[in-house]
Amino acid sequence: MNLLSIGISHHSAPVELRERMWFSTEETQAVLPRLQEQFFSECVLISTCNRTELYGMTRSPETSEEALRQFLIEAKEATGIVEPSHLAARVAGAAVNQIFKVAAGIDSMIIGDIQILNQVKEAFQIARDGSTLGPVLNRLMQSTLHVGKRTRSETSISEGAVSVSYAAVELASKIFADLSRKAALLVGAGETGELALKHLVGKGIGQVRIANRTRAKAEALVAELGGEVVDYDAMVDTLPSVDIVITSVASPTYVLGPEELVRALRQRSHNPLFVIDIGVPRNVNPAAKKIEHLFLYDIDSLSAIVDRNLERRKSEIPRVQGIIQEESEAFLQWYNSLQVGPTIQQLRDAVEEIRAEEVRKNINRFRNEDRELVELLTRRIINKILHQPMTTLKKGAENGRGDRETVERIATIRELFGIVDFKRKRDEP
Amino acid sequence: MPILPVLTALNVALPLLYGGLVVLYAVSFFGSTTALDRLKTPSIVVTLFLHVLYLVARTIAFDHPPITSVFEIMTLLAMSVTIAYLYIEARTGIQNTGLFILFLALVFQTISSVFIRDLVTIPEYLHSLVLGLHVSTALMGYTGISLSAVYGLLYLMLYRDIRSSRFGLVYSRMPNLEMLEVMSHKAEVFGFLMLSVGIVVGVFWLPHVFDEFSYWDPKLIGSLVIWLLYAAGLAAKKSFGWQGRRTMILTLIAFAFVFLSMTVINLYMSAFHSFH
Repeated sequence: MNLLSIGISHHSAPVELRERMWFSTEETQAVLPRLQEQFFSECVLISTCNRTELYGMTRSPETSEEALRQFLIEAKEATGIVEPSHLAARVAGAAVNQIFKVAAGIDSMIIGDIQILNQVKEAFQIARDGSTLGPVLNRLMQSTLHVGKRTRSETSISEGAVSVSYAAVELASKIFADLSRKAALLVGAGETGELALKHLVGKGIGQVRIANRTRAKAEALVAELGGEVVDYDAMVDTLPSVDIVITSVASPTYVLGPEELVRALRQRSHNPLFVIDIGVPRNVNPAAKKIEHLFLYDIDSLSAIVDRNLERRKSEIPRVQGIIQEESEAFLQWYNSLQVGPTIQQLRDAVEEIRAEEVRKNINRFRNEDRELVELLTRRIINKILHQPMTTLKKGAENGRGDRETVERIATIRELFGIVDFKRKRDEP
Repeated sequence: MPILPVLTALNVALPLLYGGLVVLYAVSFFGSTTALDRLKTPSIVVTLFLHVLYLVARTIAFDHPPITSVFEIMTLLAMSVTIAYLYIEARTGIQNTGLFILFLALVFQTISSVFIRDLVTIPEYLHSLVLGLHVSTALMGYTGISLSAVYGLLYLMLYRDIRSSRFGLVYSRMPNLEMLEVMSHKAEVFGFLMLSVGIVVGVFWLPHVFDEFSYWDPKLIGSLVIWLLYAAGLAAKKSFGWQGRRTMILTLIAFAFVFLSMTVINLYMSAFHSFH
């Protein structure tokens, strides 16, 4: 009867171990019913190459975090490789906070990662399809997706490119209106250059040309991305007909200088030319920066953009945390009221049972005319004893704060008074 | 209902309303997205409605359309710039250029509200239909070139920011360079054509009405200089393939002349274009 989460992320383990704990969709589908059978009334497993997190409503307060850690490690046959200490456990409010942070993108390695929200959505989808989602996790899912949506619309946590190659593409879309009517030329086949070209293709660039010293490599890339191969030595001649040039050549000397670029600009009647120089050392003579209508960016200026964007994203974290705070208060208020209601009732029932039993056993010792008074008196005593704890419990549920405290109190009360889950008692006689 | 107090009230209210619009657009430009964003477009519509009301009331009260002095023209210009912007916003969905255009409208309306006089008796010739054509085309012309100048200015700001790797508000809020250039160019072509019609109508019509008409009238010369500047700019674009930064600078210079012509020439070199 408690929300529990067990998870591995970049905070707790290096990449090899995180990879080791990755559950594919099929594996997730297989493991969820087993988890449900052994530990949970409802559960969901979020697994990406960077994190694996299990959320569930435990069947009894005694469910141990240790057993769950062991279960997950054994499920991935990683015993001895992944230690239980690599998996962090969180209860109730802390678990809610964690899943909200994940969905908001502030727990990611790259702050504001947009992908993660979709992965969270998919994880809940898998759980729902496998019927391991119940009322609590269903509500948690809605709140989580809401947090994700709110952070993206109310804060700029996901804004601005945070990789060099993407920064280049973002700049291109600030210069040109319609990339589908533009042409890009990739010179050389360095990894970052290739990535930038791929992003451009993803953004719907009209034409792609690739020039590389080793023609075969250019041909291979063309086969993958489309476009045409350009003779490396005739590369300069294509400049007038392209709008974006990405250079990433390993060359000790400049591949392009101001003269060629000025000539190209004249030939293209000064249509803007965007040159992205990703080569180290630089491929384009920086003197070209002064040429009008030429936008020249090298790896340093692109990195500066990335740094600034990361900084800006970081500065948005407090606002995101504000949203998380609001949403988790709302969720926990609901969650606690869910827990407090039945507990109060069961506690009352349990005490009433004792009282009735004792009165029944001893009622013969009283005179007939006093018996009604005994009934009244005993009732009053238990009401007075129960009044204070119940008020406190209700208050804890109402204000939504001290979530963990309330949950612990409930667990303590259940344990002290020996209240067991009636549902469970009925299910497993 | 007495119409004059209403007029006075609207005359004071309009600059405040335009000021309010500017503040609204500024808040969403400088801050991040807020609940206020949804109020932007409706506020423009309300302001325009009151503006039309004001102009209609003026026309009824003084028995002539508000086209007889430069300040009456300026309030018209404020309105037409705003209408043009509303149209552009609806067409392109780009809201972040609003601040700059509405600021221009605010300037026009404020000048008008401060200096406008209640003119009751006007010469008979101001009731002419030809004059209506002259004024409305000239007005659309000025609207076009005003917008062209704003987009030109935004282009230059963004151009400079991108070239110097400064990624501030202009960078994050503006659409791309190409679009700003296209918008500026389209507005300029439209403005130029309308201005041409206005000038042609004026030049043919004026000698019939004014005895003291002279082709050396400062307003006429001023308008012609403006027309020539824009003609030269457009010709340079067409025949030399000029574009980008240069043409935007040209647009701004030409607009400075327009502003000068509207204010200095109209106010201090009084000729037949003023009817006080």
